[in-house]
Amino acid sequence: MSMANANKAMRNVRIMRDVKARKGVLNNEVARRAYLYVARNTTLPPQVRHQAQLQLNTFDKYSRPTTVKNRCSETGRGRGIISEFALCRFQFRLRALHGELNGVRKACW
Amino acid sequence: MTTALSSQFKTLTRLRCEIFQTTYNPKNLRTGAKYLRARLRGPSMVNYYPQVVNVAAIAREHKGLELIDPKEHQRLEDVEDRKRRGKGNPKKAKTKADSRRAAKKR
Repeated sequence: MSMANANKAMRNVRIMRDVKARKGVLNNEVARRAYLYVARNTTLPPQVRHQAQLQLNTFDKYSRPTTVKNRCSETGRGRGIISEFALCRFQFRLRALHGELNGVRKACW
Repeated sequence: MTTALSSQFKTLTRLRCEIFQTTYNPKNLRTGAKYLRARLRGPSMVNYYPQVVNVAAIAREHKGLELIDPKEHQRLEDVEDRKRRGKGNPKKAKTKADSRRAAKKR
């Protein structure tokens, strides 16, 4: 799975960066959650919480879920994405008109 | 009256917490429980981009199979076409004089 993702990423540097962020989130998520729990727990002593916060700050940029952005898997565009299909609006239109998207058809009334 | 009611309410809440085995937190302190309770988002995040078959990678792994990557094939053809029209890469300079000439042209 991950290899296929990486291959896909070869098309576009922005997608590549996003894939890197996604992998980073996956690998660091449990540890980050544990530190978050300690740092945000007001019932624990402030020193411990501070230490946990410092640990949180040492994590890589590409381990934060907020660095992940849904991009168009075809063009790498970051805006106007239809997330269900991982496509930007224009690519979505092209694919839909070609009948490549199941259950999608042009509106007509 | 109100105090009596509120104390009764507190007892009720504590009882409810005991029965349903939830944490009794009357002061609404931030215990960070929500970071443990939330589902992990990594697995679904990794699966966002659809899988694509990489012909070049497969060809590299199994050298016996003679696979042709259509895109790569097209690219090489285009390069050949450009060379035929005299638009290929310039020759590497063999001597110092060559490189000086190339620098002047630029």
